[in-house]
Amino acid sequence: MSTLLKNVEDIHPALWRGSQLARSQGQTVDTGYAVLSAELPGGGWPLGTLIELLVQQPGVGEVRLLRPALAAVSKRPIAFVQPPHIPNSLAFAYLGVPLDKLLQVRASKLADALWSAEQILKTGSCGALVFWQQYARTESLRRLHMAAQSSETLFLMVRPLASAADSSPATLRLCVRPAGDGIAVDVIKRKGPIRAERLSVTLQPSPVLMSPHARVRRHTPTPVVAGSVPSTLVA
Amino acid sequence: MCVGMKRGGVLTLSPDTLMFERELSKENDLMREVAFSLMKFSPMVALCDEETIVIDVTASLRLFGGVVRLCHQMRDIVDAIGVTARLSTAPTGQGAWLLAKSAHSAHRGKRRVLKMASLERKLGTLPFQAAPEVRAFTDWFTGLGCKTLNDIRRLPRAGLKKRCGVELLDSLDRAYGLAPELYEWLAVPPAFSARIELPDRIEHAEAMLFSARRLIVQLCGWLSTQQLALTHATLTLEHERGRDAIDPTIIQIALAEPTWHEEHLLRLFKERLGRTELVAAVIAMRLTAAKIQPAEPPTDTLFPEPGGSPEDHNRLLELLVARLGPENVLRAAPSSDYRPEQANRWISVTDTTHPQKLDAVPSDLPRPAWLLETPLQLMMKSHRPFYGSSLKLVSPAERIEAGWFDGGLTSRDYFVAQASDQSCYWIYRERPGSADAEDPRWFLHGLFG
Repeated sequence: MSTLLKNVEDIHPALWRGSQLARSQGQTVDTGYAVLSAELPGGGWPLGTLIELLVQQPGVGEVRLLRPALAAVSKRPIAFVQPPHIPNSLAFAYLGVPLDKLLQVRASKLADALWSAEQILKTGSCGALVFWQQYARTESLRRLHMAAQSSETLFLMVRPLASAADSSPATLRLCVRPAGDGIAVDVIKRKGPIRAERLSVTLQPSPVLMSPHARVRRHTPTPVVAGSVPSTLVA
Repeated sequence: MCVGMKRGGVLTLSPDTLMFERELSKENDLMREVAFSLMKFSPMVALCDEETIVIDVTASLRLFGGVVRLCHQMRDIVDAIGVTARLSTAPTGQGAWLLAKSAHSAHRGKRRVLKMASLERKLGTLPFQAAPEVRAFTDWFTGLGCKTLNDIRRLPRAGLKKRCGVELLDSLDRAYGLAPELYEWLAVPPAFSARIELPDRIEHAEAMLFSARRLIVQLCGWLSTQQLALTHATLTLEHERGRDAIDPTIIQIALAEPTWHEEHLLRLFKERLGRTELVAAVIAMRLTAAKIQPAEPPTDTLFPEPGGSPEDHNRLLELLVARLGPENVLRAAPSSDYRPEQANRWISVTDTTHPQKLDAVPSDLPRPAWLLETPLQLMMKSHRPFYGSSLKLVSPAERIEAGWFDGGLTSRDYFVAQASDQSCYWIYRERPGSADAEDPRWFLHGLFG
């Protein structure tokens, strides 16, 4: 009996203790940011499920947050449904997302946008679908979540910060706020313990070319690995 | 009321009955429609007497998954045309014909015969009136005490031949597989253009979907019998003629991926019809296959890829284009230009122009992920641009001055600015012309996502 209680999570892969992160059910894509990956069940963005990113306004750093994941799934097309502004293709090329894989879908009506997202998920031919939506009802979210489960598409919905209080069928919900040199991420919902403290993620590449010490950074700095000697010191 | 009643009798019993003149030419057209639709299953389709269609499906059984499934699929097609039918299967065409014509309730649901022996048993119990050649001699055979086909077969052949002619015996021999069958298979027209009249004036495009499906199943039958795939189709909606003749509405349907699948075409038509606004009520529609090409057989990989084939993706794009319009489904086609608006070009996925060769993107100049449709002029507060909070410049200026060659001259100094909440914006200062010495005007042009 004691051995059973000790390893209760071994009974079934879907079981986990309240104090530990769930093991991933399906495939995951590495987020590219070790700090964030460590906090997610399965160590990355789960595929074939609804993920919500809650942002105050577009442009807080959500694209750079998704950059490594999008680049990783870019063998297949990447669809943007109802982006808030015109996506700048040069910036995406700069971020390492191949241009010939980008697909932008604009829909004038909410029903059309939801329909497009559902069709893209059902076909499953896209590697990633990023869907911007201001108002979405729980029924439509649930419907999209069901459609996502039939595919292996990285499905992210970018929603306003105010919808954090609403319930949602998403398995992973993150609040993203801008912070110095990156973003601050609040994990609202995940398969695992509640994380109270805010996670700060340093985004690469930073658009800031002038350091506070008035030095011009013309080239993208090498990513700083914990414990390594800063490159400026070596020079 | 029953079959064979006179007009006067019907009107006496039920004065509200709607009477229609029988039009043989329309019936023939309908038969041909059904026959063309059924060509999906086999190219050997023949129109026979008494509203019957005989199809040789011997070679198609495995492809469609057996007799039962084939019958179900045929039933679906016939339903799509909007007629009722009795289906029967037999080793001989004449045998199947007889089984289908036997309207006895005792034979219902037992019209599928696969072996010669069971066909003989089945045919033997049919009333002899089923065979058209026998009907002329009904009184004579009844007088002999014959009731079923078996009774007739038991009669001496020589006497039968002498009294009733060769046709009767030939017909029975064909049914029992003793004589070879010859059918005049339907010839496939070289081009496809089918027209149907709608049952009523229709004012909603979506209500035409049923009739459209009728046309699509015919088209699919025509395509698959010739092993062709459709790349471009035209749907013409003919309007009711009011005081002036109204030009028919023409809907062009171009396919990126040639197809011959009914479901995909039907979904495309559904979305296109849903988007169409009719100028007047529609009374008829015509479907024409404008461009076709030989069909390529599907390639079956041993391990299917999780994302589906590129054909699936193309079908998805077609579907999105059909509902949202080609101007709303876009792919990136950046052009070599210094001005960010011109460089960031998105074109429709239906646009097949080859992408321009792009020079390498400079890696040390920041570009925002989002560009505003039109740059937003920023307020000034204490000589600093203000957007939510006072903006702080965090990069050296990047001067973009181009467009003198095409009239869209822009002369701007771009900066990366940081707001107090640490989010980054791409703003520019318009370089004032030398003539007017106004304050510099600042604009927000992009957001660093």
